[in-house]
Amino acid sequence: MATDTMIESDLDISQLVDKPWVTIVWDDPVNLMSYVTYVFIKLFGFTPEKANALMMQVHNEGRAAVSTGSREEMECDVQRLHEHGLWATLQRDDKI
Amino acid sequence: MSEFMRDGNLYSLDLSIDEAHILINLVEQLLELLGEGDFNHHYDESDPFAQLMSQLKAAPDEITVPDDPVLLRLLPNAYADPEAAADFRRYTEPTLRGQKQRTLKQVRAALEIIVDEDRAGLVEDLDSEIWLMAINDLRLALSVRLEVNPDSFEIFEALSDDDPQKAIYAVYFWLGWLQTSLLNLLTGG
Repeated sequence: MATDTMIESDLDISQLVDKPWVTIVWDDPVNLMSYVTYVFIKLFGFTPEKANALMMQVHNEGRAAVSTGSREEMECDVQRLHEHGLWATLQRDDKI
Repeated sequence: MSEFMRDGNLYSLDLSIDEAHILINLVEQLLELLGEGDFNHHYDESDPFAQLMSQLKAAPDEITVPDDPVLLRLLPNAYADPEAAADFRRYTEPTLRGQKQRTLKQVRAALEIIVDEDRAGLVEDLDSEIWLMAINDLRLALSVRLEVNPDSFEIFEALSDDDPQKAIYAVYFWLGWLQTSLLNLLTGG
């Protein structure tokens, strides 16, 4: 029993926890601002205010995280964003 | 210029014959680039837009990252990591490609009626979401060929009227205007 505890204390717990994934939307010079906001509302059910704030974040900062969840969920979100022509990728949430 | 119209939940678009021709040519070329060429296309080789999408090739047997920059923009990588991106693409790209083909084919079918009758016409009861996505994909495709950047409108305005690029820019900006007219109706703006 004592040995088990010792081993556990040496482990990096963060590697055991399934970190969430995020979907990132990247800025591009083509998609219209009104279109990006529209797609955010359509796909994620955001309020117009939240969708607009995220669109502005993409525009001003070059990227924004638009959804968080399991890897499978984020892959689905990325696919739907690609269907609508937005430039999206998924990655592990590195903020944790 | 034509714009989208809305009557209750019904959307329509009144097109001149020239506008219908430009649209169907672009739609057909993009369909062919996406590997769906099973139709009689309406453009001929003398058409100024005939070579826009160009580089028509049979879809490769193996699904890999597209060489063509237009295809890479429409079917982008989902991961920054090349290996993860390739894995994801192998499983999902046919679905994404098929969705874009279906969207464009639906728009093509509506345009074909106008073009084949060779007169201006109304596209009635159109699927607003389909048209919104199709116009967006056409804009993305043209933007890659034009290498659009935030200064592109100034570049366009500075081009002389006999520059062949000028007409392509004009179509690109027209599509943005058309898309805005539809978005305004969809959002009640």
